[in-house]
Amino acid sequence: MSGETESTVTDQPEDGSLLDLVDPRKMSGVQRLGLLGLGLLAIFGPVGIVAGLELRVIQMTGALIFATYVMTWDVVSGYTGEISFGHALFFGVGAYTSAILNTQLELSLFLTIPAGILAAALAGLLIGFPSLRLHGPYFSLITLVTPIILISVLVFQPDITGGATGLSGVDTLTRDTVLSYYLAFGVFLLTLVTFLAITRSDAGIVLTAIREDEVAVQAAGLNPQKFKLFAFVLSGAFGGLAGSIALHSAHLGGFAAPSDLLALVLSIEVIVAAILGGMGTITGAAVGGITFYMVVRLLRNVPVLGEFYFLLFAVLTLLFLFFVPEGIVPRVLRELKGRQTDATVAADGGRTPLEITVRKFAEQLRELVGLKGGDER
Amino acid sequence: MASVSIATVAANVLLLGALYALVAIGFTLIFGVGGVLNLAHGASITLGAYSAYYAVQFGLGIYVAGLVALVVPGVFNYALYKGLIKPAGDNPVAVLILTLVLSLVVEQVFLAIAGAQPVTIPGFVDGQVAILGGLEANRVLGFVLSWVLIGGLFYFVNRTKRGQAILATSMSKKGSALVGINPDRTYTYTWIIAGVLAGVAGLFLGSFQSLNPLMGRSPLLLSFSIVVLGGLGSIRGSVIGAYFISMLDQLTIFYVSDRLAGLSGLVVLVVVLLVRPKGLFGRELAEG
Repeated sequence: MSGETESTVTDQPEDGSLLDLVDPRKMSGVQRLGLLGLGLLAIFGPVGIVAGLELRVIQMTGALIFATYVMTWDVVSGYTGEISFGHALFFGVGAYTSAILNTQLELSLFLTIPAGILAAALAGLLIGFPSLRLHGPYFSLITLVTPIILISVLVFQPDITGGATGLSGVDTLTRDTVLSYYLAFGVFLLTLVTFLAITRSDAGIVLTAIREDEVAVQAAGLNPQKFKLFAFVLSGAFGGLAGSIALHSAHLGGFAAPSDLLALVLSIEVIVAAILGGMGTITGAAVGGITFYMVVRLLRNVPVLGEFYFLLFAVLTLLFLFFVPEGIVPRVLRELKGRQTDATVAADGGRTPLEITVRKFAEQLRELVGLKGGDER
Repeated sequence: MASVSIATVAANVLLLGALYALVAIGFTLIFGVGGVLNLAHGASITLGAYSAYYAVQFGLGIYVAGLVALVVPGVFNYALYKGLIKPAGDNPVAVLILTLVLSLVVEQVFLAIAGAQPVTIPGFVDGQVAILGGLEANRVLGFVLSWVLIGGLFYFVNRTKRGQAILATSMSKKGSALVGINPDRTYTYTWIIAGVLAGVAGLFLGSFQSLNPLMGRSPLLLSFSIVVLGGLGSIRGSVIGAYFISMLDQLTIFYVSDRLAGLSGLVVLVVVLLVRPKGLFGRELAEG
């Protein structure tokens, strides 16, 4: 399904080859800006070390991993509109599978990491199936409790899993700061490019259409369930990859703990970062993820405020929900492109992904509670 | 020995079932009437228990402290509804994130001021009662009081005007508004009732076991399962679901491992959602 759609570049107005897509001379200003950002990220590792900013390089490694998490959330929830409240499940499944295989069977990381990715993709499939039947609040409940179930299972077998404290002594690919940075950057880049390719292809259009109106997708002769499952498996696989790379690099340093990989806080932070950056855009998730992570690290050093940074972000998220529902990145892009595109036709009737998702969720909730039709809250 | 252990499990199930029912009824009332998934419901439990603890520390008697444990979560829920939920009312995603974050904040606050180590509050009455091979009188009191509250709530919803207004609002907001029921006031009642019930549950959970800042989590998770099992919005379903879930949980803890506490409920939740999302009793509140 994706194989045929991924490679076709139908959304390119001029019939250029794939090469044109990566030709800086043919890019718009915004795309060049994005490329510049990536270029800066690519050299930040060694340059940061030389400049004596080792702490920042270490933090940026974490930020790149976190941004990857946020993108994996966005490709499911931002595009299909089914909000996952427990996306940490995938990071945890990927990392723990790899960790346990490594410590128990002493397999090489080059086997365990793919196994982790596979397990996380399978988890994506398992979470994806309920989403075909359960919508809105029920789906949120299921996604909310699955990581908690996994934590209970981990705590039940502490000799194998390390229990609530965590599993230490897992092999790492590298503990070097710069190499770890590049591992994280590699995962980030791979995820970004893959997700951009998919979401900008026909498959992405179908996913967006599912968010807008699932019945219309069915009416067009497409099977929304197939596409949803695809998004979940994709998200799970990349989430698992990011989780296991985080574990096997200096970021987590071979220490798998539920608090780093499965905690509710992590799942919520991912959602918040995606909403702030811009839901349903991938680029917004990437920028939002990096920014969120770095700002949190800075805030933590501030006394008092650091304890309750979470509250601060909650308030900020709410403000965004009401005033900047499209997120930072799309808003900035609109301001940059600004006036000359004002007259163009707005897709989705000018509503943002977040607004559509929220409306969909509200409708499903209303259906569930029995407040149908004109019986608005 | 075996008979004693069965008696212990039975006593635990009877008591915890009643307390979980209180939590779940509050959760299901707010959901069934207002359509709000209140993920901060666990915070009300914690708040109830800790306000009793601080009242005792402050030198007030345990009975006054018990009263404080009812009032504080009630006021908290009132403020939560008026200050946050109502303004964000038509945005359920905001409500979910908001209540979730609020519950994390409450945990953080108590972690900061009370510390992570468990604390205790004294029981209401001392001594034993000779039922089921001897039970602490305090537990029996908790059980009786919970059932009085559950019974009172049934009476309130089915026999009083105000309760009927809650029922009517859950069926149709527009229809009830047409006959002169103020939906905002009805929502306010349900939030306060839910807060008070959670406070009672927190008080007794705290006085049987101990208090810690994360104590609201597992009752909240269990009440997800209870409410989904019993059917969203159904009070009767919540009571039956609470007993079923607490029995399953206690049996798991007692006969398998206490490390699996809470897990069986979550598994039930997932299975019910997949097999019969309507729950066992459908939407009682809406169907009358």
